Amino acid sequence: MTQIIIQGLLLSGLYALIAMGFTLIFSIGRVLNLAYGAYLLIGGYVYFYFAQMMGMPKLVGVLLAVIVGAAMGLAKYRMIVKPLKGDHVAIEISTLILAIVLQSGVILAFGDSSKILLPIIPGVERLAGATIPYSNLLAAIVSWAILISLYFFVNKTHTGRAMQAVSMDAKGAAISGIDSDRINMITWGISGALGALAGVFFASYTQLTPSMWVAPLIISVAIVIVGGIGSIIGTLIVAHIIGFMEIIVTAMIAPELRGVFTMVLIIGVLVIRPQGLFGREEL
Amino acid sequence: MGFLTVENLSAFYGKAQALHKVNISVAQGEIIAIVGANGAGKSTLLDSIMGLTKTTGVIKLGDNVLTGLGSPAIVRLGVGYATERFNLFPYMTVRDNLMVGAYTARDDIERNLDMVHKLFPRLEERENQETMTQSGGERQMVSLGRALMTSPKLLLVDEPTIGLAPKVCLEIAEVLRRLRDEFGTTIVITEQNANFAMTLAERLYVLEAGAVQIEGTVESLRDDPKLTEAYFGH
Ligand SMILES: Nc1ncnc2c1ncn2[C@@H]1O[C@H](COP(=O)(O)OP(=O)(O)O)[C@@H](O)[C@H]1O
Ligand SMILES: [Mg+2]
Repeated sequence: MTQIIIQGLLLSGLYALIAMGFTLIFSIGRVLNLAYGAYLLIGGYVYFYFAQMMGMPKLVGVLLAVIVGAAMGLAKYRMIVKPLKGDHVAIEISTLILAIVLQSGVILAFGDSSKILLPIIPGVERLAGATIPYSNLLAAIVSWAILISLYFFVNKTHTGRAMQAVSMDAKGAAISGIDSDRINMITWGISGALGALAGVFFASYTQLTPSMWVAPLIISVAIVIVGGIGSIIGTLIVAHIIGFMEIIVTAMIAPELRGVFTMVLIIGVLVIRPQGLFGREEL
Repeated sequence: MGFLTVENLSAFYGKAQALHKVNISVAQGEIIAIVGANGAGKSTLLDSIMGLTKTTGVIKLGDNVLTGLGSPAIVRLGVGYATERFNLFPYMTVRDNLMVGAYTARDDIERNLDMVHKLFPRLEERENQETMTQSGGERQMVSLGRALMTSPKLLLVDEPTIGLAPKVCLEIAEVLRRLRDEFGTTIVITEQNANFAMTLAERLYVLEAGAVQIEGTVESLRDDPKLTEAYFGH
């Protein structure tokens, strides 16, 4: 029981971190960013390259991953989202293609075998019969710290409020003196950085593979659909519902079925409450 | 004369032309009204001053040319805009809506918030209410308040009384008058109702099909038969 609670909390924290960058773009930029998983992929490999292959300090590896992630987010906004402005189908298809291209690039550079990331902090803690790797604990703590900061940033700073304003009423934002282009760049940059960071933790939770962008994307979509458009609190709650559900299914029924229950939940919510459990357009 | 000058302004939506060589001049501290029927081009004129439409011609505020600047720059130069549909942020509280208005005027927040609360005590009482749950009158107040949070020297107000109860209309008119008298704000309003416009403004411009047809002081226009016929029906 304790084991389930602890593992549930850890996994849920990770899921919340994974989904947050996706939620941000979905609710502010109104774009279903199907290449979101690619930030995690690239983040994981950048960390692997610098921290593990080049032997740089791990913190530097994480930092580089975050920087590359932010740059990817910015580049994607500039080169795809902005030129295609408003054409959602075109944006979604091109982001999906981008993810697949990046996956091929990763295979070309690193081969398609999976790799084990050395834990950021080695070692485990035993607590009430549960084994907790320090890395997973770190992932959950970092994830919580980031979610709390993000909540305050979005709700209590001028830039954060401007991000919400742009998503709620573009004209209202413009006449308040907000440059929506600049705000969008900030949003895409943050989303990329969050995705890359989540990628480092996700890869150390599971392993590094060129196809590791798919599962986080599904988790993110699930959390956004079940939670409703982009509330940070909603994302947090649903991440816990899904995280705990997967741990419970794994422990009580069968590990192979964990993903299936998530899918059933998505479909159920879509049918019964299409706007999501906490569905409304706020952050 | 000439705090705001609009010279030969034409505005376009795609190929359709919505304004035809409009000329307007507003002195500092003046309240003027743009009067016109639905579709005359009133909102287009205000949007154009705000840099939101495709235009030709020249718009100046003081010594600054606004033409070609985007709305963020125009807001920084001192133009505030309360739009016809308010364009509020529905899931934000009254206070957060006002705070977004303060995006460019961050050093004046306390003073502006104070002024807004003095003009609209209701907004202080309701500061934690989300604007989506508010009445039309309250939304109009938030919209004006948000515009005032930008520290405007020129305030554009698009149809301040549309859809509002007569009592609320008077309240809004009173606030606009106080803004000009106590704070020296220059104000341009638009109206379909010439009667209301005349109670507030010193001069009127009558817009028809995107062109200025009549202009003059309220005194000179009060008995103008053309105006009487067209705009005192309501
Ligand atoms: N976004 C738009 N796209 C195309 N035409 C528009 C748009 N907005 C207004 N128009 C047209 O421009 C003209 C002036 O409209 P508007 O400025 O809204 O008038 P008013 O505010 O006086 O009612 C109308 O013919 C209207 O149909
Ligand atoms: Mg109008």
